[in-house]
Amino acid sequence: MFKIPVSGILLGASKVSTKMFVPSIGLHVSAPMKLKEIHANKVGGKLIIEGAFVPSPRKDHLIQNNNECCPLCSLGLDVKHTDVLILSQFVRSDGCMMPRRVTGLCKTQQKRMSKLVSMAHKAGLMCDLAPANSKKDPSKRKLWKKYNTYYDESTIKVYESHFKTIKDNIILDYMKSKNPEN
Amino acid sequence: MSQLGRVKQWNTFARCWHLFDAAWQNPLECSPTIEKYLKGLNKPIYHPLVDCGDHVVVINSKQIAFPGEEWRRRAYFHHTGYSGGATWTPAWELHDRDPTMIFRKAVYHHMKGNLFRRVVMERLHIFSDSNVPEEVMENITNQIPPLRSIPKTLSSYSKEEIEKYPKIIDYPEDFILSKN
Ligand SMILES: [Zn+2]
Repeated sequence: MFKIPVSGILLGASKVSTKMFVPSIGLHVSAPMKLKEIHANKVGGKLIIEGAFVPSPRKDHLIQNNNECCPLCSLGLDVKHTDVLILSQFVRSDGCMMPRRVTGLCKTQQKRMSKLVSMAHKAGLMCDLAPANSKKDPSKRKLWKKYNTYYDESTIKVYESHFKTIKDNIILDYMKSKNPEN
Repeated sequence: MSQLGRVKQWNTFARCWHLFDAAWQNPLECSPTIEKYLKGLNKPIYHPLVDCGDHVVVINSKQIAFPGEEWRRRAYFHHTGYSGGATWTPAWELHDRDPTMIFRKAVYHHMKGNLFRRVVMERLHIFSDSNVPEEVMENITNQIPPLRSIPKTLSSYSKEEIEKYPKIIDYPEDFILSKN
């Protein structure tokens, strides 16, 4: 009971102390908002591992999203499980789905996309995006998995109530922006 | 008779050969289409007692597709006639043994049953891959369009095509890109 506030005070103190040394002007010696890439180099029998800053490979072809909704909702796309060029943007190089804090989608779309990604994997449409030790050819899979399968997107559950709350929130925000006095 | 009408009449009275590529096609969906050509339902002279059907050559029957969990859930029943002789074989197991049987059964069971059905089924030639004998291939004059589009895999696109495709999301700040 007694220890929790003490640690809180300590944390606060450390925050204050770091703030004193950070200049208040937006001056940065190194670029803070960049992607990182881990490089492992061998120089004269020594292994040097360093994190290097790289520009985003998607910068040139990114669709700008000016809405408050998530990027997929604002585009209004009807994504199928065969649209591998879209679905491959949400997965890592080993084929696993990226979490919501990385993709930046809303809960409904994140759930829908992860289902579609698993459908595309099961249908063998994204076999290049797989762990290194996996058999990449879908016809070499076991039992029934080696045969061609397609999926029906209408089997993915959509929660109506969730859509309704989003809709209501958008209407409320719009009303607030119209007459800010109320 | 006009020139087009004459050709139409030839096509009606001749026994044509049609090619059908079964890759990524659901056999249960294509059986009505195959039946139409086998029985000659599309011909103006059609009558159940008129033998006016065409031949259909089905290739790549090993690459047929089923939706969802159909490969596991779909069972084919067989009874030997002896007591305890009933077997239920999953579709994938039957497809392991004979890659043409599921397609043949789908067309056979879709047609209305009488003895004439066996005669019609003789005109259906199914091949598990695209290696068709030359004496069959030389007869073919028409190709039946596929009912279901074949999905493109990610590896079929070039690297430049994937890079230049419009991106919906960008990586967040401080995201660590993996090397490959
Ligand atoms: Zn959304």
